[in-house]
Amino acid sequence: MTEAPRPRVAALALAVGLVLADSSIVVLALPEIYRELGTSVAGVTWVLVSFNLVMALAAVPAAHLARRVGPGRAAAVGLAVFAGASLACGASEHLSTLIAARCVQALGGAAAVTAVLELLPATVGSERRATAAWAAAGATGAALGPAVGGLLTELVSWQSIFLLQVPVAIAAAVPILAVAKHEAATGIVATELRRSGRPHLMANLALAMVSAAIAAALFLLVLLLIEGWRLTPIGAAIVVSAMPLFAILGSRLDLHVPSARARAAAGAILVSGGLAGLGLLPSAEVALTLPPQILVGVGLALVLSALTETALHGRAPQAIHGGWTISARHAGVVVGLLALTPIFTADIAEQRRDAIAAGTAVVLDSRVDPLLKLELAQRIDDRLEEERGRVPTIGSAFEPLPEDPEDRAEVVELRDDLQEQLNRGATHAFSPSFGLGALLGLLALIPIGLARRIEL
Amino acid sequence: MSALGRGGWLVVGAIAVSVALSGAYLAAGGSSYAPAKTQDPCQDRPWRDPGSLQEIAEQFSLSALDGAACRLGVTRETLARALATPESRERFTERYGIDDPELARAIRAGLVRAVDDAEEAGALSPFLAGPLRETVKQVPLDQAIALIQDARTLLDSAQSFLGPAQGLLDQFLP
Repeated sequence: MTEAPRPRVAALALAVGLVLADSSIVVLALPEIYRELGTSVAGVTWVLVSFNLVMALAAVPAAHLARRVGPGRAAAVGLAVFAGASLACGASEHLSTLIAARCVQALGGAAAVTAVLELLPATVGSERRATAAWAAAGATGAALGPAVGGLLTELVSWQSIFLLQVPVAIAAAVPILAVAKHEAATGIVATELRRSGRPHLMANLALAMVSAAIAAALFLLVLLLIEGWRLTPIGAAIVVSAMPLFAILGSRLDLHVPSARARAAAGAILVSGGLAGLGLLPSAEVALTLPPQILVGVGLALVLSALTETALHGRAPQAIHGGWTISARHAGVVVGLLALTPIFTADIAEQRRDAIAAGTAVVLDSRVDPLLKLELAQRIDDRLEEERGRVPTIGSAFEPLPEDPEDRAEVVELRDDLQEQLNRGATHAFSPSFGLGALLGLLALIPIGLARRIEL
Repeated sequence: MSALGRGGWLVVGAIAVSVALSGAYLAAGGSSYAPAKTQDPCQDRPWRDPGSLQEIAEQFSLSALDGAACRLGVTRETLARALATPESRERFTERYGIDDPELARAIRAGLVRAVDDAEEAGALSPFLAGPLRETVKQVPLDQAIALIQDARTLLDSAQSFLGPAQGLLDQFLP
């Protein structure tokens, strides 16, 4: 070993954070990708689904490979593959090539993340500290991902999200290369070659269900903010930052609760409560999303750490069982996205129709001049056509406002009423999906309750 | 505290916070925050008190839209958007599989209903309503659409031509 532990620990944590951030980093860029690549909501969902699906499938085999070829080499090669695939993602001009590159990215990521868990105990000094550091790095990456992605999308482009990952992955790989060289020189490929015990079924099942609920919360909230309420990616990034912020704060709470089952159950209930709150928003106001986000954030910190600790506690090799937790979490995200996407895309189309009908009723029943009504109806129709199925902002259809103060007041009232109907439609469209997400979170209580060995 | 333990209280706290948030949002109208439902066009829609020709024309148009929409089996709002431009009309007829003669019949039926409603609301006298009813039954499609969009010209003409005659009738008939 030639490297000092501190930079190596930082590099290992960076590698885990970077890869796990990728399961959610593009969430805020999806609407931009959707428009730029001319695809559908269901199609663009696969930019997320493909990465998570490959991570779910590859995590355990990658962990076995890491133990066979050496975790240093596996991590270094994994990060190199991840960097190359990130470059390909950034250069993609078609949805199909972007999705293919995302699959390769996930393959490299799975190798890196599971190998790092094998490298960490030797670097930080104990298995328990290694597990905690690994889980914290992953949670931080996953939590910060959407905000970073949103900022980059707004300030530069969606492609920059992937291009920026190339130097970061290389920076993380450099200190790990020393371990790889050491492995090559000594022929030592793993610290321990015990047979892998059975994975903790209930903890991993609960992880999958909770991850599905959390994915629903994040994905749906972003779509609601950008596609429904028409916030910019940077605005949505600021709003959804509440969830990771409270996840980080929640992870620092010292609750003195030794029972992992209780922490997991409380976390799952809070995630479900937050999702139920998002499904019952009483108006289209950003501030109203904050209390539910606080619940989801604190809940995810409690439940993910309790279940990850449980799944890894007393089990060896760590990389294999870490692979199982990665697999469970990403499989949950895939199930959440695939189950909810058709539901909310159908709901949003129906609610859009209802909102437009309600908005037209507002125009027809208003007291503005009939000829002006006709002109407004035409302009509103044009706006709806321009928006290709999205919930439109209707303000520009009312410009220029009439000069007569009385007419102007009537038109402004009409515009606000109409936008209110559209906001109602957009918000209501997401309610069933948030409700289903809440149900998924509650279902996680079953494996949490059934787990016999969940107490630490 | 001791019966439940810290873990039990943590779970109880999580349930309480979650129920409180959902309850607060429900109480604030969370379950009913949805677009307003549009009214069935086949049902009667009472007229507001018309104070001017413009207001009569406006309500006349709305009644006509209701009548036509009822006949076509769509909402008044869908039809209003469909008739806004020739392009939107074409999209509408394609989507619903309606041809121009069928659309014309529906709009004429709507105009007849508008005359009936105007008469019932006291905005048109029976003397004016009769000829108007016969007139709107004959108008071609484009004119029928123009009438639905702005009935002021029709009503103004009817008042100009038939108003003095009605005055004479009022004078000589019991």
